[in-house]
Amino acid sequence: MVNQRGGFLVVEGCFHCRNRISFFSEEPVPPVDDYREGDHFWSHLGSFQASKFDLRCEKCGAEVAIPDVMALLLCLKCNPDCGVYKAGNTPENRKAWVYVALCAHTSHAGGACVSNTGLEALNAYFNQDLHDPSKKILIVPCRLRPFVDTCEGVVLADVGLTDLY
Amino acid sequence: MKVQELAAQAGLKTFNSPGDREIKGVYISDMVSDIIGIGEGLLLVTLQTHKNLIAAANLVDVSGIVFARGKAPAEDVVALADKAGISLLGFPSDTWTLAKKLYEMGIR
Repeated sequence: MVNQRGGFLVVEGCFHCRNRISFFSEEPVPPVDDYREGDHFWSHLGSFQASKFDLRCEKCGAEVAIPDVMALLLCLKCNPDCGVYKAGNTPENRKAWVYVALCAHTSHAGGACVSNTGLEALNAYFNQDLHDPSKKILIVPCRLRPFVDTCEGVVLADVGLTDLY
Repeated sequence: MKVQELAAQAGLKTFNSPGDREIKGVYISDMVSDIIGIGEGLLLVTLQTHKNLIAAANLVDVSGIVFARGKAPAEDVVALADKAGISLLGFPSDTWTLAKKLYEMGIR
């Protein structure tokens, strides 16, 4: 894991088109302002402390940049109709823990999502040290998830750091 | 040393006992995004007790988690850790005291 940097995953929604978008902010305080962009009126929906990173092969030194992955989310299997649930419900993946690579185009209105190269690198990285045959990590693109608003998955972002202990 | 042996020797509170994994080292962090880059089999010492932590710890396959300063996880957090096979332990004093204790016990 290289080029690790801290910041915030910011999620916004447009009340005209109902789409959701996300971006990674490295500002000390994540932006919360509403703004207009063409026909869209984006409003801040939430921010989570998070980190972005790239991956590098320790053997050959090849680096895989994954700028299109905003954060990872653990699937809690809340919806059997969801594509993420189905991906983890195949015979070969029944013992897998499914994580979702979240891209910036949360509603996927334009069809874009995280790259296959990035997904392959993430799967290789997080499975390389798993020696327990009963465990497998499966990372899938967020385009498999039909709705973001009802998803009960756990975003791998820091929360509660400002809570009083 | 394995997790259950550590719990017994160090007098750690056990919140569950889903397995007994070998401890390959220790990592101390309260930032979930920091944890996702650590190696497999480490004992994670933290103050964080939320479900998000279990999601990250499972991803990197920790040997167990110790909550310092008497922190206790909620029931849904324990349930998720059970499902992931992650042992949850508790230590009443601060992280530094626990770090010294682990070092003295040979976990380095």
